[in-house]
Amino acid sequence: MRLKFLMAMVSVFSISIAQAQTHAIQFEKYTLPNGLKVILHEDHSAPVVAVTTLYHVGSKNEDTARTGFAHFFEHLLFEGSENIKRGEFDKYITNAGGALNANTSQDRTFYYELLPSNQVDLGLWLESERMMHAKIEQIGVNTQREVVKEEKRQRMDNRPYGSFLTEVLKRSFKVHPYQWAPIGSMDHLNAAKLEEFIHFYKTFYVPNNCVLSIAGDFNKADLKNKIAAYFGPIKKGENPIPRPTIKEPALGGEVRDVIQDNIQLPGVFQAYRAPKQGGDEYYAFNVLSTILSGGESSRMTKTLVDKKQQAVAAQSAPFFNEDEGLFITLAIANMGVKIEALESSMDSVISDLKNNIVGEREFQKVKNQITTQLVTGNATMAGIAESLANNEVYFGDANLINTELDKYNKVTRQDVLNVAKKYLNKDNRVVLYYVPKEKPTTK
Amino acid sequence: MKKLIYFNLMMLPLFGMAQSIDRTKAPAPGKAPLIQVGSPVKFTLANGLQIFVVKNTKLPQVSATLAFDYDGFAEGDKAGVAEIAGQLLKRGTVSKSKAELDEAIEFLGGGMSTSSGSASISSLKANFPALMTLLAEVVLHPALATSELEKIRKQTLSGIESNKDDANAISGNVVKKLVYGATHPYGEMMTTKTVNNISINDVKSFLGTYWKPNAAYLVFVGDIEPAYAKTLAEKSFGAWAKGNIVKQNFPKPNLPNSTYVAIVDRPSSVQSVVTIASTVDLYPGSENAISGSVMNNILGGGFSGRLFSNLREKHAFTYGAYSSLTPSRQVGFFQADASVRNDKTDSSVQELLHEINIMRNEKVGDTELSRMKNYLSGSFARSLENPATIADFALKVAQFHLPADYYQKYLTNLALVDAVKVQAAAKSFLNPSKMHIIIVGNAKQIAKGLEKYGPISYYDLEGNKVAAPTEVKTDASLTPEVLMQKVINAVGGKEALSKVTDVQMKGTASIQGQSLTMNKTLILPGNVSASMSMGTMALMKQMVVDGKYSVSQQGQQMPITDDVKEGLDEDATIAPEQLFLSKSYGLKIVGIEKVDGKDAIDVEVTTPSKKVSHRFYDASTYLLVKTSKSEEVPGRGTVTQQEFYNGYQVVNGIQLASELIIDLGPMKINVKYSDIKMNQGLKTSDLK
Repeated sequence: MRLKFLMAMVSVFSISIAQAQTHAIQFEKYTLPNGLKVILHEDHSAPVVAVTTLYHVGSKNEDTARTGFAHFFEHLLFEGSENIKRGEFDKYITNAGGALNANTSQDRTFYYELLPSNQVDLGLWLESERMMHAKIEQIGVNTQREVVKEEKRQRMDNRPYGSFLTEVLKRSFKVHPYQWAPIGSMDHLNAAKLEEFIHFYKTFYVPNNCVLSIAGDFNKADLKNKIAAYFGPIKKGENPIPRPTIKEPALGGEVRDVIQDNIQLPGVFQAYRAPKQGGDEYYAFNVLSTILSGGESSRMTKTLVDKKQQAVAAQSAPFFNEDEGLFITLAIANMGVKIEALESSMDSVISDLKNNIVGEREFQKVKNQITTQLVTGNATMAGIAESLANNEVYFGDANLINTELDKYNKVTRQDVLNVAKKYLNKDNRVVLYYVPKEKPTTK
Repeated sequence: MKKLIYFNLMMLPLFGMAQSIDRTKAPAPGKAPLIQVGSPVKFTLANGLQIFVVKNTKLPQVSATLAFDYDGFAEGDKAGVAEIAGQLLKRGTVSKSKAELDEAIEFLGGGMSTSSGSASISSLKANFPALMTLLAEVVLHPALATSELEKIRKQTLSGIESNKDDANAISGNVVKKLVYGATHPYGEMMTTKTVNNISINDVKSFLGTYWKPNAAYLVFVGDIEPAYAKTLAEKSFGAWAKGNIVKQNFPKPNLPNSTYVAIVDRPSSVQSVVTIASTVDLYPGSENAISGSVMNNILGGGFSGRLFSNLREKHAFTYGAYSSLTPSRQVGFFQADASVRNDKTDSSVQELLHEINIMRNEKVGDTELSRMKNYLSGSFARSLENPATIADFALKVAQFHLPADYYQKYLTNLALVDAVKVQAAAKSFLNPSKMHIIIVGNAKQIAKGLEKYGPISYYDLEGNKVAAPTEVKTDASLTPEVLMQKVINAVGGKEALSKVTDVQMKGTASIQGQSLTMNKTLILPGNVSASMSMGTMALMKQMVVDGKYSVSQQGQQMPITDDVKEGLDEDATIAPEQLFLSKSYGLKIVGIEKVDGKDAIDVEVTTPSKKVSHRFYDASTYLLVKTSKSEEVPGRGTVTQQEFYNGYQVVNGIQLASELIIDLGPMKINVKYSDIKMNQGLKTSDLK
């Protein structure tokens, strides 16, 4: 009975894989003479288009004395260009019924505009203006410096536990530039001179360090002409593009610390050093993470939140990057729960993963969840454009968007056990206790 | 090989670069795209269930929505039954507990949601049939367990309770009731009473009456063959017996004979929630629906709307001012609204009406019109990326009997909207002489001047008409000094007060469901220590001991200013009225105000450092019932803190309030002192 049921589920699962594969994302990829990589995914199912640029620059490309530059540029490059007046960049988009935004990681910066398809030219114009001759002026630098400070106050300083990534990174990495978070240092931004910003722009925001990824409702031949017209005249960058080659040594023993924060409920943050993104172990780790915190029936939620009621929230967060990775588990304590007791429960969930192979039904459930996520992840033009660009920049393989599911399907229960045993060890982790600012007066 | 391909591709665009561009200005938009909304394939099952299938093979994903042809019904003294029934459906079936059901859905990598008039699922194609079986189980064999009903009831009641403090929620309820009428299904209001009236049989009766296959649509969207969808629908819902459809009779709401002002008096309000509203003859697919939408967006559709630029950008009366125009099969609805500072209530009503009048009387300019049309066509196009939008269109076309190509032609019709049509729409939907002007706010401070917009009437929180709050005059012979003496006598009298050496109060405080420990110790004269802590950790501690002042928040010392000292000095007494009389405090009797329904004397107290606060004393017992104090907080504007005193207990002849509610607007702290001791012989060294 049980076996039959499981077999039925396996066959259901294999059907979904087959289905997913028949829906391959078609795309064309080429490079302009100035080095700009272009990826086009034509899709007429809705009259929308996502125009995106991904620059291969993140906080890891920054000088140790000028951290926060890449993220700062995410803001600065909305200030305008030779042909776009200050403050007008987003108005063009909203007046066209579009939406726009940008984000910066350790490894790359991503800008996107979502537009009705008859406004695709507007997206090309704005992005080419940004790449060709953005205005890097003192007034814009001053304005955006205040905005970034406000952002830091709002997102890190004022938000409970908001500093955890910064605190985790600086203890997890000693030599690699991953030791600082993209928000960087406000002192560094204050100290930087205008020439330094201009130099950073001329080094990194150049066609040969960018992927222009466009997905949606357009005529490809026509669009290619327009891309050539808007982006062709932009000059190739002349400066060498620095990329860190430094290798981070093993952590060499558990690092523990206590952080005082403006919070009411204590929290435990555990960060295990992990491999870089893209390898077999990376996929096993993502499966492992879904076992721990993918939905209501996942292990951390079920054990820590529902059953023991020790935590108001518990989850795992894979944090994998181009050079190195971290696997983070965190939990926020329920009222009156001792932080040590909470950590010990988190440890026993992990230790179970290390000592016992995950059951077949649960393994199947998790794979079903991942399949759904991967397939529905390609539901929007913006999502497709970003995946194509990420895959191209990180792995030189935009087509990974179509083959990633195979990588997950290769993951076995044994692989999950193996990565748990290899990486989820005390001497390989940083543990932070977040506690309310005033320490308890009694023990 | 690969390189060669790249080379060729690279060359192509160069050769085709005939196209010249002018990069000094933004490129013009291309021709409006033709929207390709899939036409649904339709079937009807023998039981009357109508099936629509919008096939979309972009992703191997399918969703299904079972939607009932249901506009609501008059729920009367059981208002809320439909909403609760919708929630209860997903809380287990006859064969699965809630936990088992959730797990089963998650195992399929899918999702499910239910409401009073619909149930939907979504998953990958391969798991869809299994999820469909679960949907049928939820719809046809729900557990409808009493225990789960009680959980929902508890949550609903606490929601209603917290809404009583929320001016926006009050406004929403009263606006609906006055505009649609109390007996109209859209005008009904859930109250503690109606929610408590709801039994499991009422839920069953609601579902039995309105959830019938012959009053429902089942809409499939995604990668599914229509024939297979039909098979699945037959299998899941074919055996569902059809029933009688209850004809819903909606009374047509009347417009007011002329514009009037309705005030819901909320003495604690520091902002007025102003709404100008009326029903309108606007139905889905009405000829002027699209020009109406353009008109409404120009008036108040967002940051670029006229109301926003007038009331916020130009006058700074408010953080935001908006309007909405909603078509409905029963009757449409218009409203313009803003939350404004008390003293700008009159001016805000005036500006809102002014913009409404301009919209009616003047033609919109070309730039403003074309910008709005671009914005609307762009938003429409982008909304189509979500397949749920297409399902929604299919459903609306069917339910509202719209032309089959209504949404396909939307952009073409939008392009045809011109200034003449916009003005015509304004004239039909905006009728400033027959509006409801509904304001939730502090009547005493805002009512003056509003009579010029129409007769004023007053309503309670549930939208029942009440008498105007009467201006109760205080006895002219009552001077502040006499009143202070009366208060001191009410607390216990000078002599009894002089015998108190120390007071210790212990209790709990609850903030948003969290329980904290409260301690307050007085050593007279002039020493106090008060703390609020969680477990062993002090969140807040204030003290004056032997003339030393300190305030700490989460362990951080706060600066001690003159007014902080004054506040602590007041805390270090049982009756600060003695302090007011002995030092250079300014006292003024302002008038009578209702506090918790009883008359209280409002006294304005000005401290030596010129800080102003109000104290309210019960008009018959002279005990303190409320204090109120406003402060400018950088970045947040004026913040008002009110404290309400209750549960007076007599200890050694002294009246002490054992209950205190600290109201900070969005947050409330309920304090209860359960342990009060007096004259234990405490020393200042005991104050830590």
